[in-house]
Amino acid sequence: MTRKSITNVSQARVWRGTMPVQYLYTAGVAGERFFQTLRRKGVFAVTTCAECQVTYLPPRLYCERCFADLSGAWAEVAPSGRVHTYTVVHEDQDGRPLDPPQVVAFVRIDGTSGGLIGRLLHLRPQDVQVEMPVDAVLAPPRRRRGGMDDITGFAPRRVLPRRRTP
Amino acid sequence: MSLIKRKPQRRVAVIGAGLSLFMRRALDTGKELAYYAASQALQTAGIRLKDIQAVVMATAPDAFDGVHMKGEWLLDGAGGVGKPYLRAYVGGGSGVFSIISGWMMVASGLFDLVLVVAEEKMSSCQPHPQGAFLTIFDHTIERPLGPNLLWIFSLEQQRYMAAYGIRNEDIALVSVKNKHNALAHPAAQVAAHLTVKDILDSDVVAWPVHRLMVSPISDGAAAVVLASEQVARRLSDRPIWIQGVGWCLDTSYWGNRDLAYPRYVEKAAWMAYEMAGVTEPRKQIHVAEPYDPFAYKELHHLEGLQLADRGQAPEDLARGRFDRTGELPSCPSGGLMGVGNPIAAAGLMKICELFWQLRREAGARQVPGNPERGVAQAWGDLMQIGTVAVLGVR
Repeated sequence: MTRKSITNVSQARVWRGTMPVQYLYTAGVAGERFFQTLRRKGVFAVTTCAECQVTYLPPRLYCERCFADLSGAWAEVAPSGRVHTYTVVHEDQDGRPLDPPQVVAFVRIDGTSGGLIGRLLHLRPQDVQVEMPVDAVLAPPRRRRGGMDDITGFAPRRVLPRRRTP
Repeated sequence: MSLIKRKPQRRVAVIGAGLSLFMRRALDTGKELAYYAASQALQTAGIRLKDIQAVVMATAPDAFDGVHMKGEWLLDGAGGVGKPYLRAYVGGGSGVFSIISGWMMVASGLFDLVLVVAEEKMSSCQPHPQGAFLTIFDHTIERPLGPNLLWIFSLEQQRYMAAYGIRNEDIALVSVKNKHNALAHPAAQVAAHLTVKDILDSDVVAWPVHRLMVSPISDGAAAVVLASEQVARRLSDRPIWIQGVGWCLDTSYWGNRDLAYPRYVEKAAWMAYEMAGVTEPRKQIHVAEPYDPFAYKELHHLEGLQLADRGQAPEDLARGRFDRTGELPSCPSGGLMGVGNPIAAAGLMKICELFWQLRREAGARQVPGNPERGVAQAWGDLMQIGTVAVLGVR
């Protein structure tokens, strides 16, 4: 018998399937402290390895370079930093146009070796500059739930008057 | 016929071991669990992360932790940042395969110090990690029939019982023994003092398997440090040698396997025994840690490991041969049925147990006498792999 190949792929019969599971994730020991600090105080909890001179944001319980235990090496930093790099998103995941386009930045947080991705708020795409200082815009204290949603985005730092982030 | 081409030239030792608690739902992330085990293993080996030249991480399906490519994600918790790093993955067999992978790295001459870590965080997967197993079956032939792992194991246990005239009471005794052994294990999740009646009074999940004949859902991690001979002798006054390793896969069609006897375990065992110079396993093996995710599996695997005659393991168990104080202690740790079953970590936990038993550091779990050689085994992939390691004091 000769082997027949299907030349029209629409002729191939298919069986549909799903992988029917969902997930409950925990933030971890370090992650839980980060979110509780964000919710209560509106600042970022970080851990520092003095020997490697690395300040971890998001915080880690251990130094990934030397494995030092950092569970007692906590500090808090203001939720502000600088635009390290950014992109202007014109289409959503499904290819639909975004109007207006969204500005998404990776913000290096001052006093740390890390940073966070967030939307840039209150400015036009043409006004974004690499290294521009920004502050996190947080949800009002009573609306914070201790998750990434507590950070609405980042906005250009105002020079005068200096408005403190709640 | 020889199963190995030639005996490897370089010897490899285990010089440190570490274990996290095994638990039902950890707040700790998988990375954090891995860190606890890995840092403890380094500490007992008396070395620091900078001394480690390469890292092996064993972790079972991504679908458990719910992070696709979780081997890479777990990197920092395993101490692998900036180092040659390998994810060892053969499903449930991964824990013992992790040490085989690490052994290859050292025996080959590539590295002198390798950190081997295994992690699983199964509690993330909802409503039950069994859901992740629904898709291990062939999508067109098997899945329309709706099989799950429990069916498959119940069918296998029933065939084992029918083939040799074994009663469910005989098998329930495995749960009694292992949960009791685990009472002496500080990391244990489901240690208990129970009777055969308690086991058989628990819910029938899929007859003949009762709930207390199944290992639990667990979060946990384990780790060991491997060293080449020269480095091991410098760093440790009691290195435990990896004398032999073996692994083997049966067909991926479970319906084409011998359900009453795990031939693939036998082949993996003989490979490891040949390398270790073991010709009479029942005389030369003094402590065993066979894989026991289901009660009958320990018996199945003891037979595959040549430590009991086919169909005779239940009788040996009943007369106390496999008790901690018996002729051949089996799962003195408490095994997966007692300590818990964070899949890959459970397999490496068995290696940790041999390390502690052979160094006579197992405390209240210590088997009597002077055990000089032990075997650990895990099983997995699509219920078709046997992974075996033989460890000894010389």
